[in-house]
Amino acid sequence: MPPPWKRIVAAPASRLSHVPRRVQRYFVIYATLLIAAWVSWKWIFQPDWESNRAIEKSLNEDKVFFGSNMRPEFSDMIQIKSMDTRLLPSDENFKQRLVIVGDVHGCKDELQALLDKVKFRAPHDHLTLTGDMISKGPDSAGVVSLARSLSASCVRGNHEDRMLLALADMRGHHAALPGPAEDPTDAQDLLDEESFSHGDYTFRSLAREFDDKQIKWLQACPVILRVGEIAGLGEMVVVHAGLVPGIPLERQDPYHVMNMRTIDLDTRLPSENREGTPWEKLWNKYQSHVPPQSAERSSVVYGHDSKRGKNIHKYSFGLDSGCVAGGRLTALVIEAGRKGEVAKTRTVDVKCKTYWQKSQSKTNNKSET
Amino acid sequence: MVIRTPLLLSLLVTLAALVHAIPTLRRRDADIESLYGITALRRDHSGKRGDNKQKYFHESTFHPHYDGRFADKVLSYDDRRANLVVMMKTYLSAMHEIGTETWIMHGSLLGWWWNRKIMPWDSDVDVQVSEAGMDFLAAYHNMTIHHYQLPGEAKGRDYMLEINPHYVNGSTADKLNVIDARWIDTHTGLFIDITALRRDKEAEAKGMKGVMMCKDKHRYEEAQIFPLRDSFFEGIPVKIPYAYAELLEEEYGTKALTRVNFEKHHFDEEKMEWIPLK
Repeated sequence: MPPPWKRIVAAPASRLSHVPRRVQRYFVIYATLLIAAWVSWKWIFQPDWESNRAIEKSLNEDKVFFGSNMRPEFSDMIQIKSMDTRLLPSDENFKQRLVIVGDVHGCKDELQALLDKVKFRAPHDHLTLTGDMISKGPDSAGVVSLARSLSASCVRGNHEDRMLLALADMRGHHAALPGPAEDPTDAQDLLDEESFSHGDYTFRSLAREFDDKQIKWLQACPVILRVGEIAGLGEMVVVHAGLVPGIPLERQDPYHVMNMRTIDLDTRLPSENREGTPWEKLWNKYQSHVPPQSAERSSVVYGHDSKRGKNIHKYSFGLDSGCVAGGRLTALVIEAGRKGEVAKTRTVDVKCKTYWQKSQSKTNNKSET
Repeated sequence: MVIRTPLLLSLLVTLAALVHAIPTLRRRDADIESLYGITALRRDHSGKRGDNKQKYFHESTFHPHYDGRFADKVLSYDDRRANLVVMMKTYLSAMHEIGTETWIMHGSLLGWWWNRKIMPWDSDVDVQVSEAGMDFLAAYHNMTIHHYQLPGEAKGRDYMLEINPHYVNGSTADKLNVIDARWIDTHTGLFIDITALRRDKEAEAKGMKGVMMCKDKHRYEEAQIFPLRDSFFEGIPVKIPYAYAELLEEEYGTKALTRVNFEKHHFDEEKMEWIPLK
């Protein structure tokens, strides 16, 4: 005689044994499926559905959003340039293409390898860089000289911005200040430099790597490059970080254009933090509401966000795949469709060596990105 | 008793030398007597007598926004506003000429962001200089008078740059001297407060790098302020902190950058002006 507790435990099991095996098996399968469905709804589809609904709601709202102010304007910074329309992809003669490359960060060898991989044919194909071409990597000056030799187009990234401002500050002072590279043995000198350079001496020494022509070329990079009309993609625009939908290019705040990652749906105020909706989500949703033939239809090619990596949507092309930190260098190749048909886009990338790690930025945490 | 003349003489000379050698306590502040010829007043209206002895700048007895050495009455609201704009312009222009970098913060930065002007309801302007800049001003430009020809004023107007000697004390514990310098309109007694941005030595001692502070206890990341940008404010060249958008959002929140109705004013996007609501 088994003890009473054993009978109780055994009872349901024995009762279960009356249920046919097949039904038992199906029960398990259905239960698993049900749980799987619930989990995927809860963790994948519902958040996505909710964020889409929030974006839709924000797009349908009729109120005053961010962007009513006068656009901040600065000396020595060009807001917009338009690319020469003759450089646009074409299906005639040489079948010229547009090759747009994400954040190079001084990785000259990788840029060369990528150009070889896409079989870049100068002077027919046209190269455009999405900013942050310099700093962190091994050969910033080399990248600029390669870009210049190919008559490439560029936009101003946050690293170009900081370097050029630090350089202007350096040049603007009454007397020439000693640099860290000039006399590394003199501790007093270094301290002095530190107190004068407001902590951005990494950018000051970077500035010294370039010659005057390279600096001029970098200064001429606009915050926003208007590439022009590309069949199927509307007006193509290149920026470093992002754009706020619904605000004309002339009135986009340059700081945000060079730094944004997310956008607040309630106010449409962009931010470089990661809380909030990724700006490109709102951008794509906004574009899907714009009629195809409208002048407002526009696609953006950008870099800046290596953490999200290559990020291709219908109306936005994120190309920073973290090359300098050992990721990949990505190019967007745009070819003209046959006889004005929709243009063909594809991405090509190459593997990069690791030149830089996040912990390397000691002096200045704003320069990490 | 006979004292011989040479001895008497040498005694006198020694005494005189001694008197010179004894360090005398000198006044540190510029009181109204020292400003006769610059101020139109004869009687001091500053609240000096009621103030703590350690406090350097004395506001007037009748209003905290006026310097009692130069004013004995408040201006009308409109007059004050007009003078504020002129003061900002003359200050920026003087700093630009001297070559000391100065930048705008707080309410003035917000005004710049909206339309590069002082907001109509803003009661003061906020400017900062670097510590090195303040050293330079203290060493070469303290108590200097700057003359400006103003439209509609035949005689022009004098502004005085006065540095608080306590600026060398960077401690926030020195609560009586949080203002490091002033740009004073000698005609109206209105002034602009100037604060120096310093390294936060306490934070640095704790191992944090790149933290800056003012004696008014505002703290910033160095990388948010520097390198400075060049722009214009009220039509005069001005420096703007690097991460202006971030600083504004942190200080005032998103609403301050999106709301177009504020303090009984409406921002007109066509005119790019704050229009008073009736």
